[in-house]
Amino acid sequence: MSSDASPTAIRSGRLAECATRLRIWWTMLAICLEERLAYRGDFILGTAMRFLPIVTQVFLWTAVFAATSRSDIAGYSKTDIVAYYLLTMVTRAFSSMPGLAGGVSRSIRDGSIKKYLVQPVDYVSFLLAARIAHKLVYYAVAILPFAVVFWICRSYFPPVPDAATIAAFVASLLLSFLLGFFMEATLGMLGFWVLEVSSIVFAYMLVQYLLSGHMFPIDMLAGIPTGIAGVDVADVVRWLPFEYTAYFPAAVWLGKVQGAELGRALAIEAAWVIVMAVACRIVWWRGTRRYSAYGG
Amino acid sequence: MGRYLSIFGTFARACLVRDMTFRANFLLECVTSLGWMSMNLAFYLLVFQFTPEIGKGTGWSREPFFAFVATGLIINSIVQALFMPSAEELTEMVRTGGLDAVLVRPLDAQFLLSMHRVDFSSFANGLVGCGLLAWALTRMDYAPPPIAWLLYPLLVVCGVAILYSFVIMLAAATILMGRNQSLYDFWFYLTNFSRYPAEIYSGPWGGPLRALCTFVIPILLVVNVPARVIAQPLVGDAWWPVVGAVAAAAAALVISRIVFQRALARYRSASS
Amino acid sequence: MHNTADATDRPSLEAVIRVEGLAKEYRVYDKPEGLGASLRGLFHRKSRAVEALRGVDLTVNRGEFVALLGPNGAGKTTFLKLLSGIITPSRGTARVLGHVPWERADDFRRRFALVMGQRNQLWWDLPAAESFRLHKEIYRLDAARFERVRDELVDLLGVRKLILQPVRELSLGERMKLELVAALLHEPEVLFLDEPTIGLDVVAQHTIHEFLRHVQAERRTTVMLTTHYMKDVAALCERVVVITHGDILYDGSLAEIVDRFTTHKIVTLDLDEPPAPGALERFGFPCEIRGPQVVMRIDRSRIADVLPEILRGAGVRDVSVEDVPLEEIVAGLFRSGRTRPAEPAEATA
Repeated sequence: MSSDASPTAIRSGRLAECATRLRIWWTMLAICLEERLAYRGDFILGTAMRFLPIVTQVFLWTAVFAATSRSDIAGYSKTDIVAYYLLTMVTRAFSSMPGLAGGVSRSIRDGSIKKYLVQPVDYVSFLLAARIAHKLVYYAVAILPFAVVFWICRSYFPPVPDAATIAAFVASLLLSFLLGFFMEATLGMLGFWVLEVSSIVFAYMLVQYLLSGHMFPIDMLAGIPTGIAGVDVADVVRWLPFEYTAYFPAAVWLGKVQGAELGRALAIEAAWVIVMAVACRIVWWRGTRRYSAYGG
Repeated sequence: MGRYLSIFGTFARACLVRDMTFRANFLLECVTSLGWMSMNLAFYLLVFQFTPEIGKGTGWSREPFFAFVATGLIINSIVQALFMPSAEELTEMVRTGGLDAVLVRPLDAQFLLSMHRVDFSSFANGLVGCGLLAWALTRMDYAPPPIAWLLYPLLVVCGVAILYSFVIMLAAATILMGRNQSLYDFWFYLTNFSRYPAEIYSGPWGGPLRALCTFVIPILLVVNVPARVIAQPLVGDAWWPVVGAVAAAAAALVISRIVFQRALARYRSASS
Repeated sequence: MHNTADATDRPSLEAVIRVEGLAKEYRVYDKPEGLGASLRGLFHRKSRAVEALRGVDLTVNRGEFVALLGPNGAGKTTFLKLLSGIITPSRGTARVLGHVPWERADDFRRRFALVMGQRNQLWWDLPAAESFRLHKEIYRLDAARFERVRDELVDLLGVRKLILQPVRELSLGERMKLELVAALLHEPEVLFLDEPTIGLDVVAQHTIHEFLRHVQAERRTTVMLTTHYMKDVAALCERVVVITHGDILYDGSLAEIVDRFTTHKIVTLDLDEPPAPGALERFGFPCEIRGPQVVMRIDRSRIADVLPEILRGAGVRDVSVEDVPLEEIVAGLFRSGRTRPAEPAEATA
C-alpha cells in the first residue's frame, strides 16, 4: 500500500484484505469438508463407535451403586453419573482433536510442511480452519445419534438450567475447543525438535485421560490429600488446563459449579486458551526458524 | 511351519534391531504404556474407595477384580505386541499399494500381514500384569486348584486367538474399504467391553448386550473366562464358559480366515 | 490359439505368458465437486464402471524382453498387476509359467518377481542385507546359492558397500539398485518391472540398463517392463507392446514401430551462409532456419528424390539424415489412440 493513500483508501484496502482472507478461509474450510465427506464409510462408523465406551462406563457405575449402600458418590447420584458421562461426550466432541498432533509432526518429519513455508498461507490458521471443518462435519452427522441417545436418556438429566448457566456452558464449550486445539497443535510442533512426537502425545493423552474427567467426575478426587495441608488433588487439578476439556462444561450444565466459582473457573479456562495460543505461535516461529536453518 | 517360525524370527529380530536403534523412543514407549496402565489401576482404586464390590454378590471384590485386570493386561499386551502394529500399518499399505508387494510373495498373506511387525515395548504391560496377578492371588482368601492353573494359560491363548480374529476381520474391512482410519479406535472400543466383568451387564439393557457380546461377538469370553477360572471357585456351571471360550476361539479363527481370503480376492490395489 | 490354451496340461517351454481376452473393470465413485454435492454424496453416491483393460490377447515367449508402452492410465500397470496376481480380472484368462496368477500359488510366486519403481519394498530403517535375509527365508533359498547370487548381483551393480547401510540413508538410485537385487535373489524366471528407472539420473539409468541386459541374457529371464523413457526401450527391448485405452494398439519390434509409424525423416543442413528466402521452402516441407543451419522434415517416400536436389544447391557444408525421435513417434501413436490397426501385428503363438 502506498504511503500517500487516503484514510478511506486504506480502510477499503483493509476491507479488501479481510475479504480475501475470509475467502481463503472459506475455501480451506470447504476443501476440508469435501475431503472428510469422501470417506464417509469410515466416518459414520467412527461416529457411532464413540458411544460404546460410555455404555460400559454407565454399566460399571450401575454395578457399583448396586453393591454400595451410599445414595451418592462425591455428590453424584446414580442418574447424575449417567448424565455426566453423556455430557462429557458433548464436551469431548468439542475439545478432542484426533490426529492433530500426529498429523503436524508427520508433516514436519516427511517434509510436507515445506509447502506451508512457501505458500502464502498461515499454517496455524490453516490447521484451525481444517479443524473447524472437521468438527462441523462431525456435528452434522453426529447430531442425530446424539439426539437419539439424549432423548432416550432424558430421565437421567436434571431440569434444563437457567439461561445464564446455558450461556456459561456454551462459552466453556467453545473455549474447550480452542484449548484442545492449541494444546495439540503445540504438541505436534514439538516435532521440529523431537523425531518421534507420538510418545509425547501419548503421555499427554495419559494425563488427559485421568485429569480431564472423562473417566470420572473430578469431584471424586476431592478429599484425596496431596501432602500439602488443606489442599486436595481436586484443588490442584482446578488450576491445570486438563479438566476444562471434559469435566468443566459438563459440571456447569449439571449445576456442580456455580456463582463466583463458575466465574473464576471460566477465567482460568480463558487464561489457558491464551497461554496455549501464544505458546503455539512461539513454538511455530522458533520451529520454522530452526527448520530453515538446518534445511529440514 | 518351521519356515514360518524362522520368518517370524527374522521379523522379530528386525523389529528388535529397529527398536534398539531408536532406544530412547523404545524406552519412552515402555514408560507411556506402563503409565497408561497405572492410570487405569488408579481409576479402579478410586472406584474401590466407594464400594467393596463391583455388582452385588458377584464376588468381584478388590483382589479378584485386580486378578481380572491383570488377565486383561496379559492378553492385551500379547495382542498389542504381536498383531496390532502390523494391522495398523495395513491401512497405510492399502493406501500406498504396499500390499501389492506382499501379495506377490510366496507366503501366506494373512501371516505376513498380521505378523510382520513386533512391538516389544507392549510386553512391558504383560510383565506388570503377571506381577499384578501374583500380588492379587497372594492377597486373596481363595487359592485356585491345580486344574485352574492348567486351564488358565490355555484360556489366555483362546482369548488372544479371539482378539486376533477380530484384528484379521478389521484388516479385511480395511482391504475392502480402502481406508479405515478408525481401525485402531474400533479396536479400542471393542476391547473396552471386555475390560470389565460380564456381570455388570445386567438389567433390561445389559442382559441382551451381555448375550450379544457372548454368543455373537464373543468379546466377553476373552478376559472373563480365564479370569473367572483363576480368581473364583469353579462350581457347577462354571465349566460351560470354558468350553465356550475354546469353541469360540476355534470358530473365530476359521471365520476370520475365510473373511480375510474373500477380502483379498476383492482387493483392487491403489493405482500408481 | 485354442489348441494351446491348456498350457498346464502340456507345458510348453516357450510360451511363458499367455493371455486371452483379459479384461478388468473398476467401479469408481464419482466425486462431485462442491460442498453441497459432497453433502448429498454422504447419503447417495453414483458409481460407474471403468474399463482399465478391455480384452487383451498376448503371448510372450521365454527370454523375451517386452516393453509395455502407453500414456498414463492406459492400463499398463493394471496389466502387470493382473499378471502378478495382485488383482483378479473381470473376464478372460491368463497363464504365467503355466499358473493362473490370481490363484497365487506359492509355486508360481516363487518363480517371478515384481519391482515397482515408485514403491519401496525394503525395510526402511534397516540395512538392505536384512531384507535380503528375509527374502532368503521367504523364498526358501539355500544358503550357499543365496550368497553366491547376492554377491554376484551386488557386484554387478557396484553396491556391495551399501547393503550394510540403513536404507533410509540411501539415494533414490541406490535404493532402486538394491530393490533390483532383492527382486532377483530368487532368480525369477519372469520379471515384471513397473517404471524401474523413474526419477533416476542418467548414470544410474545406464547402470540399470547394463545390469538388466546382462542378467536377462545370462538367465534367459522373461522381462516385461513399463516405462515412459524411450531410452529404456531402445536400450533393452526388442519387442514393444503399446497399450492405449485398455487395448493393445501395436505389438511388434521396435524397429518396426519406427518403420511403420514414421512418415518423415529429419534432415539437418549446415550451410555456408543463411539461405536465400524461399530457396528451401520451395520443396514444400516444413523448414526451420536458424542462421546457417536448417532443419527440414521430409516425407520418407520423397526423400530419395528431394535430397539430391537440395544438396545440389549452393554451399552445403554438412548434412545429416535422422529418424524422428522415438518419443515423438510414440507420442503420435498414443494420440492416434482408438484407431486400432486392422491387423494386430504378430500375436501369434
